[in-house]
Amino acid sequence: MSTVPQHWHYEDVFDAFELGCGQLLLDLKLFMRTVAPGTAILLATRDAGSPVEVPAWCRLTGNRLVASAHPFYLIERKPDPK
Amino acid sequence: MSSTFCVSITHSKQDPDKATVGFVVANAAVGSDKETIAFLSTDGVWAAVKGEMEQMEVGDPFAPLRDLVQKFVAAGGRILVCSPCMKLRGITEDQLVEGAQPAGGAALVEWLANGSPCVTY
Repeated sequence: MSTVPQHWHYEDVFDAFELGCGQLLLDLKLFMRTVAPGTAILLATRDAGSPVEVPAWCRLTGNRLVASAHPFYLIERKPDPK
Repeated sequence: MSSTFCVSITHSKQDPDKATVGFVVANAAVGSDKETIAFLSTDGVWAAVKGEMEQMEVGDPFAPLRDLVQKFVAAGGRILVCSPCMKLRGITEDQLVEGAQPAGGAALVEWLANGSPCVTY
């Protein structure tokens, strides 16, 4: 059983369990709307595609991937559009 | 990078796996901040027909097609349904699910000609 790296600091958690691909990403986008810009999120996703998917989603959306250790991802919510 | 995306779905009743994965990718596009259309044609039109789409469930790990379509629309995705393909199958506009509207080749051509990438299932 993997554990979250001890040095990671986060303010909220989104556990996507086994969800991957579009089923994960749309839920993740909606979740991000509920937290303030700059919030550090711990994402847990056990889908085998997530090591590729999560960095791609961060590049597409502008949310910052701070660190990753599959199945855990530390993401900083992007600023709101000006 | 384009801010728009199109998923063209040409199978559903005969191959619900393709409609399901098509809408999963459409949800990935919406979830990645792309303004997204799902263009349904030929057998794919059934994926937006009430009473038909509810029967399309391929099983774990995929959500039922109904849930994928509802999420897509709720998140701002648009569904365009090939109107002659509907007519060929005796489908009328009132049978379409919320968020789906009849359209034709011009709508698709305009969307793609404006620079949208497209993937077909």
